[in-house]
Amino acid sequence: MQNQTKTFKIVCTIIIIAFMLIMIFPFVWILVTSFKPSTEIYGPTAFQIIANNPTGANYTTVIDKGILNSIKNSFIVSVITTLYVVAVSTLCSYILARCHFKGKKLLMAGILAVSMFPQMIVVGPIFNMFYKLNLLNSYWVCLAYSSITLPAATWIMVAHFKKIPIALEEAAHIDGCNAWQTLWKVIFPIALPGVFTCAIMTFISAWNEYLLTYTLNADKAFQTVPVGINALRTQFAILWGEITAATIVVVIPTLIIVLLFQKQIVSGMTSGAVKE
Amino acid sequence: MKKRITFTQALFLLPLLILLGIFAVYPIVTSAVYSLFDYRTNDQTVAGLYTSNKFNAPLFVEDCGYITWYLGDDVTLLEGEDKQKAEQIIAEIDEIAAPYKEVNEVVSIDGDISQNVVDKMTSYQEELKAIYTKNSDKQFYNGYEKLELLFNEVYGCKISSNFTGLSAYVQVLKDTRFGDSLKTTLIFTFISVFFEFILGLGLALIMNKAMKGIGAVRTISLIPWAIPTAVSALMWSYMYDGSSGIIAKIFADIGLISAPEAMLLTGSGAMTAAILADVWKTTPYMALLLLAGLQTIDTGLYESASIDGAGPITTFFKITLPLLKPSILVALLFRTLDAFRVYDLIAVLTGGAQGTETLSIYAYKLMIGQSNYGYGSVVVLAMAICVGIIAFIFVKVLGAELLSDD
Repeated sequence: MQNQTKTFKIVCTIIIIAFMLIMIFPFVWILVTSFKPSTEIYGPTAFQIIANNPTGANYTTVIDKGILNSIKNSFIVSVITTLYVVAVSTLCSYILARCHFKGKKLLMAGILAVSMFPQMIVVGPIFNMFYKLNLLNSYWVCLAYSSITLPAATWIMVAHFKKIPIALEEAAHIDGCNAWQTLWKVIFPIALPGVFTCAIMTFISAWNEYLLTYTLNADKAFQTVPVGINALRTQFAILWGEITAATIVVVIPTLIIVLLFQKQIVSGMTSGAVKE
Repeated sequence: MKKRITFTQALFLLPLLILLGIFAVYPIVTSAVYSLFDYRTNDQTVAGLYTSNKFNAPLFVEDCGYITWYLGDDVTLLEGEDKQKAEQIIAEIDEIAAPYKEVNEVVSIDGDISQNVVDKMTSYQEELKAIYTKNSDKQFYNGYEKLELLFNEVYGCKISSNFTGLSAYVQVLKDTRFGDSLKTTLIFTFISVFFEFILGLGLALIMNKAMKGIGAVRTISLIPWAIPTAVSALMWSYMYDGSSGIIAKIFADIGLISAPEAMLLTGSGAMTAAILADVWKTTPYMALLLLAGLQTIDTGLYESASIDGAGPITTFFKITLPLLKPSILVALLFRTLDAFRVYDLIAVLTGGAQGTETLSIYAYKLMIGQSNYGYGSVVVLAMAICVGIIAFIFVKVLGAELLSDD
């Protein structure tokens, strides 16, 4: 028995280590390539781990090509989206978690349905709408993100509000707070961890959005990271050195977010999906 | 105790309703409307939603202006009867165009009137053709070819209704490209979700047992999930590259594929490549969702089971799986829908080549690539129906609980 558990543990450890290696390997390989001069990326040296003549040239080239501008755009777009989505979803989730009204179930089902709909369905009409309103190639794309981010954010916030005991609000009500004051002065501070989770999840999904920016913001000046990095692949040549260097540069912000906020991310991923 | 909603509280819902109204409900309804029309923005005769006959007055006036202008130049080279006739045509075209000079938009018009205009213009074109052929020895400034182009554009000014009703939905059922992309999407979805589930469940079970070092595993699992799909797809497309891709080389060396180039340039290779990249990116997500579900299971149950002499396999099938079922269903539903809607990954990896064209790719190519909003919307709505069917199967048939009742 003792022996069996030991073997079992060893097998588990091996599986876990193999899993981690597989998860990390692409990043390591991309990092290795990013320091190779372009002559070493092709031919016999393509699969060599350490470059013969390591160089930082790929990094300077992609920075010259404006990858930092894409990162800036991604930050602007993601921050604006996060701010308004958190505000809107806090407001409505409070009501959805606390009040009964006719059509609430329908509204909840509607929100869920929007998150399930193929995103492609909104792209054509939104493109036409932005074209007519002359909003193509601008930061207004943030508003279009609401169809992707709002349902998930609302879902997370409702789950968090439901955990807060209702007695607090009743006390606030007796003390003469109106609905607005109750929300911002009593409930919001308690719900802050949930709000934070919601903000992180919204930020990540706005940061990762590809289809809408790709369609609405064709202008290089407004490209976000996922679009900008793919624009490095030209019709005639794929410069892997530059692409790998750019990948490393754009993965760093995500890496920092994951390292700092992993607890919130896991809680955001699972809220609504797991009954507690 | 729940309170009834007050007016102020109802106002709190307003921003959500407005945003979702504009950016979700309106586009969905618009798509549904598009799908009833032969609506293509790159063809000016069907560049709008026309339920009645229309006349593109501004374009007509502009084209007539060019015709008379070009003709005016060429007329100076003509003599006698031909010159008279050409000048008369100029005058008549000016006369026809005159009533539309003040109209600055596409207008509704009686079908007979616009047909009459088109008929007249056709006869002018024929007469002019005869004149130009007769005087083919002359070096005209503009010539008949230029006029012919303009006349062809003039005929497009008469816009017939492009309302097609449900006929495009019949067309989509016969469309083999739609059938193929549906099949591709289903294959991609089924295989990737299957592997993600098996691997994710295995990992979740191990992570639930071995608590040491779980923090590090969790952090590392989150990274592939958190990076943009478009970026991870680009990373994989480098590793699949025929000449310098390490994964392609490894697969070729161990004999899985005939040559490194086969990874992205053959049908089976490209599909495997897409599925592998998807499994890499989302297995951790699945594992973490299932792990969270496992952690809600009361450990006391396992203790009682082991006291009762249940082995690990019995425990798994009698306790773990039934109690994990709600988490499994929700995780599977979300993953299935995500995989079914896949766009970024395929667009970056293959662009839909080598039989990897999924429904999203096909719809995007139709709508944005070819400006064919009408038929593109039909494909997108057909996709939405599939999504509805998938959700229905999970919720009603398998019993996934999404809306918690309180």
